[in-house]
Amino acid sequence: MIQVLAFYLFATLVIASAVFVIMSRNPVHSVLWLIVAFFNAAGLMVLVGAEFIAMLLVIVYVGAVAVLFLFVVMMLDIDFAELRAGFIRNFPLGIAIALVLVAELVLGIGAERAGALKLGTPDGTAAPLMDRSNIEAIGALLYSRYLFLFESAGIILLVAMIGAIVLTHRERSDTRRQNISKQVKRRPDEATINVKPEVGKGVQL
Amino acid sequence: MVDLSQYLPILIFLAIAQGLSAAFVFLPIGVAYLTGAHKPDAEKLSEYECGFPAFEDPRSQFDVRFYLVAILFIIFDLEAAFLFPWAVSLDVTGWPGWITMMIFLAELVIGFAYAWKKGALEWE
Repeated sequence: MIQVLAFYLFATLVIASAVFVIMSRNPVHSVLWLIVAFFNAAGLMVLVGAEFIAMLLVIVYVGAVAVLFLFVVMMLDIDFAELRAGFIRNFPLGIAIALVLVAELVLGIGAERAGALKLGTPDGTAAPLMDRSNIEAIGALLYSRYLFLFESAGIILLVAMIGAIVLTHRERSDTRRQNISKQVKRRPDEATINVKPEVGKGVQL
Repeated sequence: MVDLSQYLPILIFLAIAQGLSAAFVFLPIGVAYLTGAHKPDAEKLSEYECGFPAFEDPRSQFDVRFYLVAILFIIFDLEAAFLFPWAVSLDVTGWPGWITMMIFLAELVIGFAYAWKKGALEWE
């Protein structure tokens, strides 16, 4: 009973906040509504039994992706009112994308009716892990049977990191950075000069 | 089916927190509406006396370096997220699983060394 109530609460809030994401005029408000949608999606994931995915949604999507969206929104110098003026012009494209997503939903429901997914076991022969928790079952599959996908995820992360650094990092010439190894390597005899100037004459350094 | 009864206290806390925050937001609004005078006027929102209209949008642009910090944070956040299922399922995956994770970590250590060497982790 409580589960049914919680499901309808989370589902309603997801849809409502998703509508606000696309309807609100201020893009910063859109991002904040997106965070609400992520939280409620995490609640739905908990209800369906995918606890690890739920926690990932909160940690990664709410904690990191939403902040990144906020940065992008605040960094871009775009007149959003002007962008929204093309709503009618881009309407057919939007409808096309929505139709593709609906088709995916229908296919997903059809696949779910075809029976449970048999993802298999770590080595493909042993009995499935039935009494283990969600996160253990994910780990048992991800790091043995699907390890190629896992390693490619690591490569993609590496590419993303290097790409972001290459695109956004600039050496700033106007600031004088501290070079610690140069400081440490300095010896007293090259740091100080002992001179005995004659009376009445200056010192040339 | 997963036992969801452990999540009931969280749901109750969530309801209490939402009720409290709603009260904090709407109670002052309601009290102010009921007790205060409500006389909106365009002049009240205009620039006062010698003030002048704003020259530009108050939301100034961010430095792109914030974005770099955020994306590095996301990447290492995801790396840490991959560590959790690995740590609890090592008894099933064994040494192959351990070596898999070490290769994954080595990939990201390459990126980390690159970021460090390029000075992407420093502000100035």
